[in-house]
Amino acid sequence: MAESLTLIALFVLLASAAGLAIVLRSHIAIEKLMAVQLLGTGGAATLLLLGAATAQPALADVALLLVLLSAFSCAAFTLGEGESPEAAAKPDEPS
Amino acid sequence: MGLADAFTLICVVAGAVLFLAGTLGLLRFPDTLSRLHALSKADNLGLGLIVLGLMPQQASLMGGAKLVCIWLLAQLSAATASQLIAGIAARRKPQA
Amino acid sequence: MTVPSSPRRPLWRPSLLGRGLLFFALWLVLIGAALKDWPVGLVAAAAATWASIPLWPPESRLSATGLARFVLRFLPQAVAAGLDVARRAFARRIAMKPGIVTYRASLRPGLAQGALCAVMSLQPGKLPVSCAARGDMRVHCLDSDASVTAELAADEAAFLRILPGGRAGG
Repeated sequence: MAESLTLIALFVLLASAAGLAIVLRSHIAIEKLMAVQLLGTGGAATLLLLGAATAQPALADVALLLVLLSAFSCAAFTLGEGESPEAAAKPDEPS
Repeated sequence: MGLADAFTLICVVAGAVLFLAGTLGLLRFPDTLSRLHALSKADNLGLGLIVLGLMPQQASLMGGAKLVCIWLLAQLSAATASQLIAGIAARRKPQA
Repeated sequence: MTVPSSPRRPLWRPSLLGRGLLFFALWLVLIGAALKDWPVGLVAAAAATWASIPLWPPESRLSATGLARFVLRFLPQAVAAGLDVARRAFARRIAMKPGIVTYRASLRPGLAQGALCAVMSLQPGKLPVSCAARGDMRVHCLDSDASVTAELAADEAAFLRILPGGRAGG
């Protein structure tokens, strides 16, 4: 069981890494922000799988942290965007 | 292999396939916002399936609840963040 | 951001206490139930409750049955959304017609509409782009010729059912 879980973790890691490579190659800033989200979900999934494979529940904490960080960086990016002059007629933004 | 392990494997493999689908979507979908669809929907369902599959492997009820919390947080943040990102994308080029 | 103005009422209300307990329970689940960590958890729960007041005013309430119906309706749709994207990604030919559909929501702008947008971003093939004031929502769709408007209206109706008093005048 541990071996299969590790294998699948590796698979998810590779899929996320490939996605990261695609997104980071783009020139659009928003697509780079999508990399943060991808890192959050893909990284969390990999860590959870590895945590279950190695019976180390502490990895779940790391996964939680990754998800949290990606959420915060998206919020921070949006706030920074709001301060730019082009966003003068900013629609109200959901929290 | 017990029933619980079989359940775990099925769910976890399905989750991994969804992650692959998310990456393929990033590669193949034509515009930025469509790629955002792929990212926010496929990957989060993948994470959900993996969490669901790991449930029987948890030693304690608390561990399982924690996994669900992680997934809920990821789902909530993805729902909000994807839409924030989309808003930025639309503001930058209004006819996206 | 439009936040409903908080009234000058005493803040110590049963609903706030319950909310604080929920936050504390969440903290226990995430950190662990060791007794020596409890003071930190109590402080964290209090801080979370305080921070939640402007975002979710204590007098706004949710109906429990509405919430259950909401989960029952939107959870399968979130699954369907993931499968829909996966199907398109694995298809031999990318068959989609992405575009932006404008939809007039009847919810007033603010937290409720923000939540509606967040929910809709989990629906199959839809991603709200801007939830501007005046109730106009622009939704990016993977298939812009599908019957999107009807689906959006149905989703919003389901969402409104858990939010008594969330309906705008027009």
